[in-house]
Amino acid sequence: MNIRKNLSVHILSLGTIVASLLILGAFLLLFGNLNNWLQRWGTALSMSIYLKDGISEYRRDKVYSFIRGLPEAEIKRFISKEEALKDLRAALGEDAGFLNRLVRNPLPASYEIVFESKGTHGVEPERIKGELEKLDGVEEVQYSNEWLNKLEGFLNVVRLIGFIIGGLLCLCVVFIVTNTIKLTIYSRKDEIEILKLVGATDWFVKTPFLIEGTIQGISGGVLAVLMLFSGYLILPTKGVSLLGLTPLDFVFLPAGYLVLILILGAVLGVIGSFIAIGRFFAV
Amino acid sequence: MIQLFDLSKKFGPNVALNDIRLRIRQGEFVFVTGPSGAGKTTLLRLIFGAEKPASGYILINAVNLNRISRPKLDLLRRKIGFVFQDFKLLPRKTVFENVAIALEVIGLRPKFVRKKTHQTLRLVGLAEKEKSYPLSLSGGEQQRVAIARAIVKDPLILLADEPTGNLDPQLTMEIMELFKSIHRKGTTVVVATHSQELLEATDCRTILLNRGKISEDTP
Ligand SMILES: Nc1ncnc2c1ncn2[C@@H]1O[C@H](COP(=O)(O)OP(=O)(O)O)[C@@H](O)[C@H]1O
Ligand SMILES: [Mg+2]
Repeated sequence: MNIRKNLSVHILSLGTIVASLLILGAFLLLFGNLNNWLQRWGTALSMSIYLKDGISEYRRDKVYSFIRGLPEAEIKRFISKEEALKDLRAALGEDAGFLNRLVRNPLPASYEIVFESKGTHGVEPERIKGELEKLDGVEEVQYSNEWLNKLEGFLNVVRLIGFIIGGLLCLCVVFIVTNTIKLTIYSRKDEIEILKLVGATDWFVKTPFLIEGTIQGISGGVLAVLMLFSGYLILPTKGVSLLGLTPLDFVFLPAGYLVLILILGAVLGVIGSFIAIGRFFAV
Repeated sequence: MIQLFDLSKKFGPNVALNDIRLRIRQGEFVFVTGPSGAGKTTLLRLIFGAEKPASGYILINAVNLNRISRPKLDLLRRKIGFVFQDFKLLPRKTVFENVAIALEVIGLRPKFVRKKTHQTLRLVGLAEKEKSYPLSLSGGEQQRVAIARAIVKDPLILLADEPTGNLDPQLTMEIMELFKSIHRKGTTVVVATHSQELLEATDCRTILLNRGKISEDTP
């Protein structure tokens, strides 16, 4: 009866460890991908160069050749005033009716350009924007970095929340392991006493409990990684297209992170059992 | 050598041992006797360092047990065999494992441990029961497992608390012969018993305890 009670305690403990590490792993997975996407968008910087109304052919050619001269810049398309209005009409759909009442087209013509920088931050959008805006005939330059900054702020918040949740989950795992090992030690109190009486050193008695805690942590880690991976396989998350941008790959955690989860499990197991045996044998 | 100086032990208001002075030389064979509750078990447990005295000192080979560190006590216990009155066997380990553990904690080579354990179990007549579990054995058999565990490490000192309490006269004599042979190899043997037959059949030193005091010490 004692053994069965112990078994259910162990299963419960293992379940908690798995759940905690699973949440942690899922978080890493999400965070890693979010990070990836932002990096991708960060390098594929897009810029809209709005032209003044009634710009001369000559000025427009000047702007055009300036853009051509920018390193790594690729002109996606020229959007005339008419095309811009058409795009807007299409975007508004049924609500486009008010556009008919406009006396004149308020939308500027623009060049859409993309910087396909291979390095992460090879392009300095702020500087390019400044130079472009100095050109005659350029009304305004916008690039996608403004909301990128916002996203990075968001990413920092996510990171902070991740650390807090992760820390709490780690504490939770340590707490669970400590209590399970304490229960095990308690149920083997008589055996421990006997071992001490026949001359076993503290470490001879303690080591099996340390090993048990470590095994719990590692098996929790393995199970969590396996469940995470099968979850990844099952969910249709590959090639998510978000906000109409380039399709995004949802990638699994790199091997290093998987090892990290396993190590984390082991370390938490060791810490938990250390606390348990420390308390117990101090008496 | 075991030396006790003005040794007292109390359990609450209950005085178990009162002002004991005693010297047991290396290689002696000593009986400690007296009625139930006289303090025999308490005396052996104090010598083993399993209890702390209320006052007085215990020196084992000139080491003061009052001041010994925990690791040193572990080391000392490896040289002392103790047969507990209630056996203290590990219920989840086989007879063989119960005896082998006394050698394993010392960190001896597995091959040696196996050989020595087999040999000792033969000595106490339990070779056939090696794979049994303690709870499936009779009281007398469990007692012999406890004895085997105490003597398997060839201790310098053997402390036996009522080691024949569950044995019939035939087995009692066999175990006493075993203790004698261990004694002949140089081990100090201290046997606590209230068995009159055992005492009548011996000419060894006998210490009579009565309500925690030594009332007779016949060399
Ligand atoms: N752990 C204990 N707690 C309280 N009293 C004890 C304990 N051990 C022994 N005693 C008391 O100490 C006295 C001596 O006991 P013990 O040494 O077991 O005697 P013996 O072995 O000679 O029968 C008895 O009065 C007993 O009740
Ligand atoms: Mg007794």
